[in-house]
Amino acid sequence: MPKHTLAAASLLSLAAVMTASVALAQDAKPIIIGITSDASGQYANSGAEDRRGMQMAIDEFNAKGGVLGRPIETVFVDTETTPATGSRVAERMITRDGAAFLIGAVSSGVANAVSQVAQKYGVIYLNTNSSSPTESGKDCHLTKFVWDGNGTNFAIATTKAAIEEMGKDWLLITNDYGWGHDTSAANRKLAEANGATIIKEILVPQGTRDFTSVLIDLQTVNPDVVAAAVGGDDLKALRTQVADLNMGEQFGWINNQQDWADVYGLPKTNLFGVFGTTWYYKLDLPGVADFVAKYQAAYPDTQMKVPGNVFFNGYWATRSLLEAVERAGTTNNHAVIKELEQLRIPAAVRMQDDDAYMNPKTHQMQQTVYLATANLASDDPDDLFKILGHSTPDAVVDAGAEAACKLESFEDTPVYEP
Amino acid sequence: MGMVSSLLPHLINGLALGLLFALIALGFTLIVSVMEVINLAHGSLFALGAYIAMVIISPDLVMLGAAGELYGDLPLAVRYVIALVLAPLVIAVIGFGLEILLRRTYGKKKEYGLLLTFGAALVFEEAIRLVWGPAERVLPVPPGITGGFIFNGMIYSNYRIYAMVFGAAAIGVVWLFLNRTPYGAIIKAGAHDDEMVRALGINLPRLRMLVFGFGAALAAVAGIILTPIWGLRPHVGVDATIPAFLIIVLGGIGSFWGAVFAGLLVGLVVGITGAYASDWSILSMYILLIVVLTFRSRGLLGKKTALEL
Amino acid sequence: MLTSPTGAPIVTKAMLVLFAILFTYPLWAKYVGLYDYLGIEIAIFALYALGFNLLLGYTGLPSFGHGAYFGVGAYGYSMAMVELGTSPLVGLLLAILAGAVSAGLVALFLSHRRGIYFALMTIAFGQIFWFLSIKLRWLTGGEDGYLNVLRPVVELGSLKIDFGSNVTVYYFAAVLLALMVMLLWRVVHSPFGTALQAIRMNEVRARSAGYNVWLVKWTVFTLSGAVAGLAGGLLALTQESAYPNVMSLHASGFVVMMTLLGGGFVSFWGPVVGAALFILARDILGAATEAWLLWYGLLFIVVMLFEPEGAVGAWRRLAGLFVRPARREASPKVVP
Repeated sequence: MPKHTLAAASLLSLAAVMTASVALAQDAKPIIIGITSDASGQYANSGAEDRRGMQMAIDEFNAKGGVLGRPIETVFVDTETTPATGSRVAERMITRDGAAFLIGAVSSGVANAVSQVAQKYGVIYLNTNSSSPTESGKDCHLTKFVWDGNGTNFAIATTKAAIEEMGKDWLLITNDYGWGHDTSAANRKLAEANGATIIKEILVPQGTRDFTSVLIDLQTVNPDVVAAAVGGDDLKALRTQVADLNMGEQFGWINNQQDWADVYGLPKTNLFGVFGTTWYYKLDLPGVADFVAKYQAAYPDTQMKVPGNVFFNGYWATRSLLEAVERAGTTNNHAVIKELEQLRIPAAVRMQDDDAYMNPKTHQMQQTVYLATANLASDDPDDLFKILGHSTPDAVVDAGAEAACKLESFEDTPVYEP
Repeated sequence: MGMVSSLLPHLINGLALGLLFALIALGFTLIVSVMEVINLAHGSLFALGAYIAMVIISPDLVMLGAAGELYGDLPLAVRYVIALVLAPLVIAVIGFGLEILLRRTYGKKKEYGLLLTFGAALVFEEAIRLVWGPAERVLPVPPGITGGFIFNGMIYSNYRIYAMVFGAAAIGVVWLFLNRTPYGAIIKAGAHDDEMVRALGINLPRLRMLVFGFGAALAAVAGIILTPIWGLRPHVGVDATIPAFLIIVLGGIGSFWGAVFAGLLVGLVVGITGAYASDWSILSMYILLIVVLTFRSRGLLGKKTALEL
Repeated sequence: MLTSPTGAPIVTKAMLVLFAILFTYPLWAKYVGLYDYLGIEIAIFALYALGFNLLLGYTGLPSFGHGAYFGVGAYGYSMAMVELGTSPLVGLLLAILAGAVSAGLVALFLSHRRGIYFALMTIAFGQIFWFLSIKLRWLTGGEDGYLNVLRPVVELGSLKIDFGSNVTVYYFAAVLLALMVMLLWRVVHSPFGTALQAIRMNEVRARSAGYNVWLVKWTVFTLSGAVAGLAGGLLALTQESAYPNVMSLHASGFVVMMTLLGGGFVSFWGPVVGAALFILARDILGAATEAWLLWYGLLFIVVMLFEPEGAVGAWRRLAGLFVRPARREASPKVVP
């Protein structure tokens, strides 16, 4: 009997102490950020890089005591590159977990699913890395903000240079889905506006692994420039097969945007042609070296030894949101949205060549676009890109977006103050 | 003349593709025609074989210490050959394990075995993703078989020739096994009347296990041959299972040459549509299947089997 | 498979238990870490799997491409709401119709097959639907999805039903599920249901007993497609959009797995249990680990090996209920 009483008493006091300490720690209600990111499926690798970027921004704020004095907690569920999962995960995070904001996207289908749910509740959603032009066009939302360049921006950046340098006979390779068609259309419009002729367009279904028939056509047609609007795993297979035959040198190749996560660790010979990116870890700009060092300190065990554009976009989206909340002084979604719409980040802070700013009509971040090709001169396996030049954000503006984007009004968007 | 000369490379490509498809389907065909088991884990064994070959060719040398350094100094061609032999053996052992698991489903509804292998496929793919991560990997290949050569004004890939030859050789080996050794006949008989076969004093379960292992090893070989050009990532197994399944049904279940012929036909159809209606090139094999099965209900050369029930 | 050739009551004890759980869910869900949207998904997939099991468990026809009809239903509902501006009930009716018509067309090619040939044809057709839903971007929105299918507000006289609330959608789905449960229960206990099982046991014998096997198979395929279409339409209503992904081989494989794991081979309730288990596992495990599919796959293998009768089979064994054995060899009294 006494033993039991002793045990009970110690348990009770232990419980009391624990409750007290927990209660003390919980005087500031945490801000919960829901991370909607792919951990499986085609974009899993990009999703992982994206999350590292978000996490670093969050860690920076938590080291300063959080946002508005409230610690930031995260909840992450794999969206499986599947839109229906995106819908469920968004609903779960908002209704069950009390998420204040949702962050993360690579696949446009998932981004749309998540952002519809977010808009319904008024939750701000950051599309960090989906580069489909529709994200800031017909599929825009008041609560959605897009942080990556899209297919049109990169098309503008890459085609102008190509016509001058490479020639006027063009062949388009188009991945037969939305992004591919939008990108090829942009390529076509720009090429023709600058005096080039599209000799042929080859459509390639999603999931193509064997590009030999395309390569045969290329040799028969023999264009000056090949503009490839091919993405995901298909692009990886295309690059391997073209590099194997050394056909990368035979034509002027233009790819659209090359995500770091898709090329890191692969042979440099696969990286033929010219492509776009929003950032590179070896840009000779203030802050870049420190940023890379911080990444390496935070993620010493990851396979990716240096960060790339996907990380950069994830980081800046998250940091910009948290800074906007600080400036607004509240988590009230209407106030934060208004802050984000006015966002302007000076070049030196942003680690790009130009100031970056948010377009209030399309909610897409306008930023410098860099033109790159493979860096064959270096032996460093990480130093994959040679930056050829850059375009200012105004030079690569997606002109059709403002007309296509119809943002909801503030009246139609519920107020949400988590 | 111009039409023919532009068609010819596409025809050659179609045949080459066909041999590659036939190679992919080979292990699957063996297990189906001889054991009447649909192994939906075929694709993941294909993938796993390639990953293990990658590890054998370029292992974590630091972990292996001094022996690792010596190994790392071996020329790539030598390590590649070692991988080509060793990785399929490893997968064969995994195949043994899978067959042992499947034993409980023999004699029951066919769906159970099929679904069990479907579950195994999921598990293998997830395990690959957890161990090696979702990123694209490279399976190194000796420089001698890379690059291209010029023939008739067009560049062709050395590697594809190598893969075609390999495929043809593998087909030959399997045919020999089925028709010129007693084992093929025994197992085929065992699929239909195992009492009789056992009465003849033959250890049928062990033979079945070995055949399954052989089929798994063939899947691994196909993986090692194809992933250098088609890419190596966890999901790559699906690129193999679906065409393999389609090919054996198209060719007719139970027919070895049906599968080979179907593989070639699928390759040709995909190659030719790739030339003239490229956006339909992947779908063309499904349309081909539907058309053939509508008019020839057992595929091109199919025989009656227990799998129809 | 359990049926009495002499018919069965309209509402059984098991149904009442289900309805009790179903209609009280929003009251207790959050106390066990669940949420309303999850309940809607469970109801949708239970419906999908119930229709699917008519084909798999009762008739023995394995379809690995059923996502196509689910997806067609989702698009059908979405287009009806956005293009035609109909009410959700009409939208769902159109979803059912779309699922039925597409399944009916496909079934023309399949109804004389069975086994492995049947299975592969269903895959081939499934792939065709999936491919078309991505390619015909002008119609379906492609991989971006068919979007902005906003939740409607329905006015019935002075009553206003706001589908914007997840609780409202949940009860709507629950009512539909309950109705379909009762309907499908009647179906499997009707002469048609007997015909299905006869075909499953021995198609040749069924034919010689006088069944029009082709027609029965065509009908059950079409019916299961209609139910899948309804479920798809409901998902589109809930998700406010429709996407091609539900038609992929991966997604079609999931409905097979959940039906079997629940015990679809031996019980009417197998699919419902299986759907609940799958959705719950995916939600709970998925939040805990990135490897949930690995565990689910392992579970699936273990079940196939040791308890092919699935969760319901295991439950029966554990509960020691006297139940007519699952695969008894004596054929049921075949009612011509």
